[in-house]
Amino acid sequence: MSAAVSVRGLRMKYGAAEVLRGVDLEIRRGEIFTLLGPNGAGKTTTIEILEGFRNRSAGEVSVLGTDPERGGDAWRAKLGIVLQNWRDHNKWGVREIIAHLSEFYDDPHDPDGLLAAVGLTGQAGQQVGRLSGGQRRRLDVALGIVGRPELLFLDEPTTGFDPEARQEFHLLLEKLAADDGMTVLLTTHDLVEAEKLAHRTAILTGGRITACGTPAELARAVQAQSRVRWLEDGRERTLTTDDPSRAAWELHERFGGPVPGLEIRRPSLEESYLELIGRAA
Amino acid sequence: MNGRALRIGIKRGWAEHMQLLRNRRELTTTLVGTAGIFALLLLWIGDEQVKGTDVSSGMFMTSGFLAFTVFSNALMTLPMALAADREEGTLLRLRTVPGGISAYLVGRAVTLLCQIAVQSALILATGVVVGGAPLPHDWPTLLWVLLLGTVAVVPLGAAIGCLLPGPKAAGAVLGLPMMGLMVTSGVMLPVTYMPEAVQWIAQAFPLYWQGLGLRAAFLPDAMLAAEIGGSWRLPYVAAVLAAWAVAGMLLAPVLVRRVTRRESGSRLAERQLAAQSS
Repeated sequence: MSAAVSVRGLRMKYGAAEVLRGVDLEIRRGEIFTLLGPNGAGKTTTIEILEGFRNRSAGEVSVLGTDPERGGDAWRAKLGIVLQNWRDHNKWGVREIIAHLSEFYDDPHDPDGLLAAVGLTGQAGQQVGRLSGGQRRRLDVALGIVGRPELLFLDEPTTGFDPEARQEFHLLLEKLAADDGMTVLLTTHDLVEAEKLAHRTAILTGGRITACGTPAELARAVQAQSRVRWLEDGRERTLTTDDPSRAAWELHERFGGPVPGLEIRRPSLEESYLELIGRAA
Repeated sequence: MNGRALRIGIKRGWAEHMQLLRNRRELTTTLVGTAGIFALLLLWIGDEQVKGTDVSSGMFMTSGFLAFTVFSNALMTLPMALAADREEGTLLRLRTVPGGISAYLVGRAVTLLCQIAVQSALILATGVVVGGAPLPHDWPTLLWVLLLGTVAVVPLGAAIGCLLPGPKAAGAVLGLPMMGLMVTSGVMLPVTYMPEAVQWIAQAFPLYWQGLGLRAAFLPDAMLAAEIGGSWRLPYVAAVLAAWAVAGMLLAPVLVRRVTRRESGSRLAERQLAAQSS
């Protein structure tokens, strides 16, 4: 089967500023994919181009086999979109708005089943404007998937969540993706979130993809150098290396025994990531 | 537009109309703001007579308020609703849905027509009960003037709504011209009370013609003594209102398309941020 999303050489210019400078992406059907990067890296621009809300400057883009700039209603019916900070339809009832939007699709989720799935059964009759932030976001997810989309876009879905709400939200997403075989593309600036949720992650910095792969592959790709420290002739010596184990072994050989004050520090994935985006910035 | 979008749009418009009716604050504003002020005016000066005629001010004002109801709903309430829908992301939400924008526009039109119908009935009832105005003697004229008058200003209101930066600006930008037209267009005071230059300006706008057409349906010919040219000029009413309708219909789709096409999440977020910091 063809890829859910395929992007080649995507470029986006706003006036003289080039926000995307040749992005390549391949998202497989059924995978949860995160686009990770610092604020201002071009994540939202990328996702809006894929959603068909923004026209690109150059490059090839195919979303579910269609160029988003030419996507009609039949194409749009296969997408689900959850944006940041939505405050629309505040005067509607929670169940009312889900039922209303479900009517636009041929084979929608049952509104009551969906309410139960996102944990809003108790709020079914409540006004949308009276929901808490976390409830509102879960409603947004419900509205995003009401038409059983093949591909769901989530733009920074957990910004402003407390850790518990975030955890619940992650479980909800995993369950939905597993049940429906939906492809999910979410953007985040939180490495931990990407690591936890995604089958694969691409890191977008400075308008380019700087690394892409499974969490393990990503860790290898972005791994910053380790620092080896020891004492020699009464002075502290340090060495940075990609292979701290070999460095330690060589030191032991040189010393012919224990190395005084030996210390090896491998940077965490988060530190590596921060160094990576620091390099690009 | 397909049948499904039309059907959902009608349901949507009705649902939003019912939400307005259920909203106590909204309802109070409508009742007190529209019928209440009108009733007070009627009690205050309703028994006076329009100069040079034996027509009571109450009768005159009933037709005038009716015209103004249509006018202000289309050119004030509608643009503010459109601007608010844009700012809250309602428009963007419907853009993510297949056929959503068509259904949205149908829904807005349906809600507006329902509002106009409710408020018109309220004005008419207040005029009859409080002001002692007779029911219109010419129902066909009443209906076609109301309908054509609505079609003349609704697309215009949609176009204005697309141009406005936000709902707050809508109130600020539109409030004064609306009041000006209300005073000068002969719906509160006979237009012949105004200097001739003002009469000419008034006749350029649809409100004057709508008011004139409604007076033709309500008032006896004795009123003609206070009308321009001493005639109801119904063919002119039809022609001017139709011209405004055509102009609005040419303009509105272009602007609506532009606004809905440009809508995206980051643009909405930018505006929300700007609105918060200003």
